[in-house]
Amino acid sequence: MRRRWVLLGGLVLGGLLAALWGGAGEQSHLLLPFLRRDSTWQAIQQRGLWRVGLDPSFPPFELLDATGKVVGYDVALAEALAASWGGRVEIVAVGFDSLPDTLKAGKIDSIVSAYPFDERLTQDFLFSTPYFEAGLRVAVPTASPIRQLADLSGRAVGVEWGSLGDMVARRLQREGMVLKLRSFETPEQVLAALLDQQAVEAVLVDNVSLRQAQARGLPLVAVGEVLESIPYVIVLPLQAVELQQQLEAALQQLRASGTLAELEERWFSGQPAVQ
Amino acid sequence: MKRLRTWQRPLFGLLVLLALIALGVWRMGGERPGVSLGPQQRVETTNPKVGIHTRLTDEVEVWKIKRTLEMVREMGAPWIVEYFPWAYVESEPGRYDWTHADQVIAHAHRQGLTVIARLGFVPQWARPKETTPLYLDEKNFDQFANFAVKFVERYRSQIKHLILWNEPNLALEWGYASPDAARYTALLKATYPRIKAIAPEVQVLAGALAPTLAPPGDEFAVNDLVFLQQMYDAGAGAYFDVLAIHAYGWHFDPDSPADPEVVNFRRTELLRALMVKNGDSEKTAMITEGGWNDHPRWTRAVRPAQRILYTLRAYEIAQAEWPWLEAVCLWALRFPWDQNSYQDYFTFVRTDFEPKPIYWEVQRQTRGELP
Repeated sequence: MRRRWVLLGGLVLGGLLAALWGGAGEQSHLLLPFLRRDSTWQAIQQRGLWRVGLDPSFPPFELLDATGKVVGYDVALAEALAASWGGRVEIVAVGFDSLPDTLKAGKIDSIVSAYPFDERLTQDFLFSTPYFEAGLRVAVPTASPIRQLADLSGRAVGVEWGSLGDMVARRLQREGMVLKLRSFETPEQVLAALLDQQAVEAVLVDNVSLRQAQARGLPLVAVGEVLESIPYVIVLPLQAVELQQQLEAALQQLRASGTLAELEERWFSGQPAVQ
Repeated sequence: MKRLRTWQRPLFGLLVLLALIALGVWRMGGERPGVSLGPQQRVETTNPKVGIHTRLTDEVEVWKIKRTLEMVREMGAPWIVEYFPWAYVESEPGRYDWTHADQVIAHAHRQGLTVIARLGFVPQWARPKETTPLYLDEKNFDQFANFAVKFVERYRSQIKHLILWNEPNLALEWGYASPDAARYTALLKATYPRIKAIAPEVQVLAGALAPTLAPPGDEFAVNDLVFLQQMYDAGAGAYFDVLAIHAYGWHFDPDSPADPEVVNFRRTELLRALMVKNGDSEKTAMITEGGWNDHPRWTRAVRPAQRILYTLRAYEIAQAEWPWLEAVCLWALRFPWDQNSYQDYFTFVRTDFEPKPIYWEVQRQTRGELP
């Protein structure tokens, strides 16, 4: 009787392990991460280089300077992260739409390229926590009495024509909010209408444009919740659990020490926000 | 009420359980009960040439098919282009599943839309293993023609326009075989007479060439102007009724002049000139793809405001300047799911059915509300 139970227990345990290791296929890393080696992290340590893919065409996150060197907020962020584990960064320029395939093919170790979080890709990649929120905000002058979304009712609100802000403003109107909507052709014109001409009392603008304006010293503040979230994250290979842990620890440290805020300030203030 | 006998009770319970399971499966299957066709509608528009390419191929929920087509009508567009993949309908030789196509065509018809049906996408049984569904051997052109004939037989009363193949000047669209105008013309010759034999009123569209400046000898593409002339040289002129045109503007405004060295919206005029040169001035053309993109990071994109202005102007040009053009079906109304690439910024409506501003502006134009 006892032998039968031992045999049965062994079969159950064996079956369970087999299912977790092989049968679970793509998802097995979720079940037994400690049994899988993070080859990406090992390769980074062996070569002392973290190969970061980005598309240098999106200032201030990534751009080419006058000498053709890739610079920007993401480059500085990657360098700060690598420094936390004593490594260096190798930048690999890749077209934005090709970044996931390049990562999948193992040509790069990670994507640090103002890459929006994509829930559908969680079957293929790991992600860091967001390091920048690029989504839609309500922005007002610092002295404005507007403190939340509901305060926009009955007021003149500026948007970039055709933009996400325009879409959301029209949605708010359909939902019953009374907005005097004014459209402009660029985000810069929207912000100028708010500050210089005072033609509008608030604007719906993406957080990149807003942070650029703030970093240049313009007296603007975001109020209320993010209306449409676009979180930028670092993308990693699916099995890179150790690298993910290293990055999370480093990101937390950079956040706590104020380094992330400094990087934002440095790279955003260099870009024209209001023409 | 007569009570169940003891032996009948478990059987009754089992039947109830099975019925509940069946109900659950049916509810989870995506098919919502009660998605009726609704009353016959009519498109109200000031511009009868306005159209849009829908993307219902992989849209499985009927209410979404219906809502998509309602939104086309409400935008004021009488035309749609929709793709009907051969492999989806005839996954085994001679066995046809028209369920999805029936749904799309019935709902489009009920919304008062004119459907331009694009045919392509080869089933596994009609191509060698290890090839993509865009690969088709010349020996199987007749099989493609068979499918086109079946399609016409079924939908003859509702569909009067068929596009044969897509962007045949790209290797990608031939499963990476070299693009060859003579070969494409052979496909037209295999298919066109058989369609006309059973439905002479159906208009067969050919071309749908990708606008490209590919240099001579390029491995992946043939310049669309060169390819069209090669089609005529191979005798294609007698095997289509309407030229399908892809008119992308990239970052040029729609009034940028036509230039063989530039891909812009008025490249359409160069294709038209080739039609005239080859004796096809009596035929018409249709734009079956095209438009502008406002992705923030794509190199060929424009700002959202430009996209709106250019799109409105494009529809206006078609109506005011191009009498030989029947419709402008821009790419694309909506995708079933986010592509998470620059492609998402071609759409007029988000995947969650929220209209983008461009949708509302086109609607204002077709209602005559713009200054």
